[in-house]
Amino acid sequence: MAGMKTASGDYIDSSWELRVFVGEEDPEAESVTLRVTGESHIGGVLLKIVEQINRKQDWSDHAIWWEQKRQWLLQTHWTLDKYGILADARLFFGPQHRPVILRLPNRRALRLRASFSQPLFQAVAAICRLLSIRHPEELSLLRAPEKKEKKKKEKEPEEELYDLSKVVLAGGVAPAVFRGMPAHFSDSAQTEACYHMLSRPQPPPDPLLLQRLPRPSSLSDKTQLHSRWLDSSRCLMQQGIKAGDVLWLRFKYYSFFDLDPKSKTPKKKKKKKNPVRLTQLYEQARWDLLLEEIDCTEEEMMVFAALQYHINKLSQSGEVGEPAGTDPGLDDLDAALSNLEVKLEGSAPTDVLDSLTTIPELKDYLRIFRPRKLTLKGYRQHWVVFKETTLSYYKSQDEAPGDPIQQLNLKGCEVVPDVNVSGQKFCIKLLVPSPEGMSEIYLRCQDEQQYARWMAGCRLASKGRTMADSSYASEVQAILAFLSLQRTGGGGPGNHPQGPDASAEGLNPYGLVAPRFQRKFKAKQLTPRILEAHQNVAQLSLAEAQLRFIQAWQSLPDFGISYVMVRFKGSRKDEILGIANNRLIRIDLAVGDVVKTWRFSNMRQWNVNWDIRQVAIEFDEHINVAFSCVSASCRIVHEYIGGYIFLSTRERARGEELDEDLFLQLTGGHEAF
Amino acid sequence: MGESSEDIDQMFSTLLGEMDLLTQSLGVDTLPPPDPNPPRAEFNYSVGFKDLNESLNALEDQDLEALMADLVADISEAEQRTIQAQKESSQNQYHSASLQASNFSGAAPLGHGTNVAATGISQYEDDLPPPPADPVLDLPLPPPPPEPLSQEEEEAQAKADKIKLALEKLKEAKVKKLVVKVHMDDNSTKSLMVDERQLARDVLDNLFEKTHCDCNVDWCLYEIYPELQIERFFEDHENVVEVLSDWTRDTENKVLFLQKEEKYAVFKNPQNFYLDNRGKKESKETNEKMNAKNKESLLEESFCGTSIIVPELEGALYLKEDGKKSWKRRYFLLRASGIYYVPKGKTKTSRDLACFIQFENVNIYYGTQHKMKYKAPTDYCFVLKHPQIQKESQYIKYLCCDDARTLNQWVMGIRIAKYGKTLYDNYQRAVAKAGLASRWTNLGTVNAAAPAQPSTGPINGTAQPNGQMPQAAHSVSAVLQEAQRHAETSKDKKPALRNHQEPGVPRPRRPQVQPAPPRPVQRSWDTRAARHAPQGYRQRGFLALPDDFLPPQPPPPAWTTQSSRLAPGLCAPSRRSRQEASYAPPRQQARGINVHKQQMNKINE
Repeated sequence: MAGMKTASGDYIDSSWELRVFVGEEDPEAESVTLRVTGESHIGGVLLKIVEQINRKQDWSDHAIWWEQKRQWLLQTHWTLDKYGILADARLFFGPQHRPVILRLPNRRALRLRASFSQPLFQAVAAICRLLSIRHPEELSLLRAPEKKEKKKKEKEPEEELYDLSKVVLAGGVAPAVFRGMPAHFSDSAQTEACYHMLSRPQPPPDPLLLQRLPRPSSLSDKTQLHSRWLDSSRCLMQQGIKAGDVLWLRFKYYSFFDLDPKSKTPKKKKKKKNPVRLTQLYEQARWDLLLEEIDCTEEEMMVFAALQYHINKLSQSGEVGEPAGTDPGLDDLDAALSNLEVKLEGSAPTDVLDSLTTIPELKDYLRIFRPRKLTLKGYRQHWVVFKETTLSYYKSQDEAPGDPIQQLNLKGCEVVPDVNVSGQKFCIKLLVPSPEGMSEIYLRCQDEQQYARWMAGCRLASKGRTMADSSYASEVQAILAFLSLQRTGGGGPGNHPQGPDASAEGLNPYGLVAPRFQRKFKAKQLTPRILEAHQNVAQLSLAEAQLRFIQAWQSLPDFGISYVMVRFKGSRKDEILGIANNRLIRIDLAVGDVVKTWRFSNMRQWNVNWDIRQVAIEFDEHINVAFSCVSASCRIVHEYIGGYIFLSTRERARGEELDEDLFLQLTGGHEAF
Repeated sequence: MGESSEDIDQMFSTLLGEMDLLTQSLGVDTLPPPDPNPPRAEFNYSVGFKDLNESLNALEDQDLEALMADLVADISEAEQRTIQAQKESSQNQYHSASLQASNFSGAAPLGHGTNVAATGISQYEDDLPPPPADPVLDLPLPPPPPEPLSQEEEEAQAKADKIKLALEKLKEAKVKKLVVKVHMDDNSTKSLMVDERQLARDVLDNLFEKTHCDCNVDWCLYEIYPELQIERFFEDHENVVEVLSDWTRDTENKVLFLQKEEKYAVFKNPQNFYLDNRGKKESKETNEKMNAKNKESLLEESFCGTSIIVPELEGALYLKEDGKKSWKRRYFLLRASGIYYVPKGKTKTSRDLACFIQFENVNIYYGTQHKMKYKAPTDYCFVLKHPQIQKESQYIKYLCCDDARTLNQWVMGIRIAKYGKTLYDNYQRAVAKAGLASRWTNLGTVNAAAPAQPSTGPINGTAQPNGQMPQAAHSVSAVLQEAQRHAETSKDKKPALRNHQEPGVPRPRRPQVQPAPPRPVQRSWDTRAARHAPQGYRQRGFLALPDDFLPPQPPPPAWTTQSSRLAPGLCAPSRRSRQEASYAPPRQQARGINVHKQQMNKINE
């Protein structure tokens, strides 16, 4: 060993003193001094350090960080010479895993221990394993945006911070499922709560908060986000991240593999699917839309709002009802059904047995209005009978056995609510198709109960189903719930944070739509439109609704485009480069028009000149494109391209395992600089 | 009671007569024509016929057999006797029936020759609007029966009670059946029975069987509205009876069986819909050349993801203003959620768009000769309307495109947005069907054509001075192809790459032997590198993958091995073959004879 010396105390081997600080990068840290030679192995040095410290502790996670070279000394069989370490090296003996605060796609904060020594790709994979998110290759970490000092102080209410830093996952094996969740979450009530946070959609945000949060106002704003991605081939330590820093965990690559495992691998049914990935993806999509990171039309927003409403309702009722394990969608339906039974018995006494055996029908006096040219007639009272999918009306109840004034088959018709709760107006507008065209008819109901029953009937009939359909009850419930929503939410223009009555049903519709719609519509205008969209999704289960939400998000034309500001070779102005999972898009910065699209499938190679921050891409037929990156480093562009190409090589057969080498080859490769 | 049973008897004799007509040689006798009154039957109306008798006569014997089977199936105890009765009555009746049939066959060509003959739905429940909910209950009483025709007839009448029982049972089953007259592309017609559970696909299969056509994917059921001058194909998943129920009783609408290459054009040349550079005509040339591999990956990308991708489509179209004959030019955009337009003075960003129509309750139709009818700017019109609307109405939307290409793009785009993945599933089923039916005969030619084909593709097709064939990975799934392509390119680049790498870069690398001779791709890269190097480019090839990161390529056209590597749900041989195979022309001339032979065989069995 190093440190042989003569009696006089002179060292006779070529050993020298190496000072190692213990702890994280802290100049005041205690240090130990070792006697080493160039031939000493790192493993030996580690052993000596631990001996010197002489403290009983688990040191297995500790390793040496070389500050000047920004490098971990992880090869224990390498010698100091091989690493090139001399006596002046500043070495820190510290833990490889350190706590960070992760901001999840659902905007919740979570403290956990992340690897500071592995390449980020592996560190993210480990994090995702802990959080039970499949396909970690689609995610990555972003630096948190720098906060503006002044604004900081006023807001930032106390926020719940979930803590998983104590949880250690055994390596190698897939986490077992215990009590409906991965076993490592079921240790304590705290971790269990954390799992619920991860696996269940969050309630809609406070509309006020939504208005306050920064939103991109232009394409160049949208490029900001993408300048903050961390390198996936370097470790956190190398990228200047410190213990306790805030990082964002986001889906980076919009190429979601095997999202709907049910439909594609029916064989694996027994394997219970973990909802965390789907939920977090849903959350990211939702925030994308709410913060206007991606634009959509009014009609699309209403569908998104309806889905959010539905998802929120399901996830909340799931929490109240059964714990984990059963399908929350079914629970909800059952609950709604029993709920309805009570309600029907209370309001309109009907024989339950009777309603089971006969075809249900609705009969009542309603006011009917048929808009026609050159008519001044308004609403008129009629006796209306609604049976199966056919609506017939008579002058009075006495004439009901005879011929009706008119009979309408509602199959395929359009049902539009025309409701004003405060004005006590409950109208149903029907557009009934006939060979001659559509005939318009308005039904006016007296109260909410009546309205809900007729409305539900009309909706089912329009889909060709009768009121005997099992979904009738939940449909009635959904309508009633929405009416109550309108009553509570219609109060003011969004500055009513939901007080004590913020129950599952009393929701502010402003929390479901992007702020620009908050400005455009009053809540009471918004509610019926959301309700209208809701009728098409009311029967979905939680997972289905989330999937539908994600699908609708994916169907938006601007979906999955990451924007970077670049300057094309030969061009004098900055432009936007959009990177999607299958193509690169050149976009005019000012107008936002697509100038040109290149597909990855036609790409032959790309080169990066790290010195002048330029990326050159060659496509088929000798099309060459070169640009320098303005808003983000060219490394981010390069990683996006390589990442998407890597993701396209995934195969179902290979399952969850990843070819990490390939990923790093496609996205890395700049280490020499 | 007596009346109706006689009626049934009547019908039966007619049916059986028709059967005999087909099995025996024709012998036309001069008997008084049978009573044409509609018998009381379990099908409520037929499409494309003046009356039911006509439609029944036009039925082919398989259908008749099926109908008979239906009728007799439920008579458990008296089954034998019923069949006996059939035989008896058929012997008595075939003369009259054959006469009737000959009457009909004389009349039919007339109708098709003019093509405007009122071939409406003959429907027997006058009290009900379509679709009739429970037709049999509301049937008007049949008219007085004819005189008894013969002595044997009366004996058979006893047995007719049993048949009636069967009818009752059928009524209970309430399976709605239609007899549909389908116009073939050679101006003939075929009649077939469609029950309400059958999808367009089933009907097509049925027609394939009857016509012995080549079964290719372009065959479709096509509905024509002569009054509105609109037409469209049935999607394969559509319920035929449901669609036909929307027709009015006296409709002139027709069902056609013909080939339309537009039906699945997107799957044959996806690049024309997905990669089209709007307005640029010259792009068309290059698009046509896309190779099969790329097409497949494009399709997989568009249709096999979590959500399908609707082609990006936008442009100025003419919109017919409600109730007027004027057309207004507007800028329209297609999105998955519907068609939108740019309101006056607004931009085409998502937030400004106004919704024009959503697809939930409308079907899309081609408009024909709207230039004449509605003074449209061009004849490339498409129409959106609720399927139930049959007459002119302000609720029908008329749009007009500048050219045929745009029209096809819009119609296909709307169908993709409306039907989504179903369209692709339909196509794959159609391909499978076509493959089963007739591919085997064409397989040889396909295989021969296959290796040559990719050489025209842009990827491998630059230049091949050394005569090396590009690897033809015919049916490897798209993901693989992507990877493989990159692997290929990187393979070639690798040696060159190393020259440019900085020494000492830690990079996992496995020793490689380059087995293949250098390919042209590589050379081009080399020259590029040389050109760039002096400019301060430090060449780094990020595509440098190890050669063996992929499973070995299959030998080019070996069907069996390839199909096993496909993504689930894809059917390799047929998918492949649909793109290059030249389809055999429909053998229509021979068809009639074939049909006859087969039918006779069947009956003899």
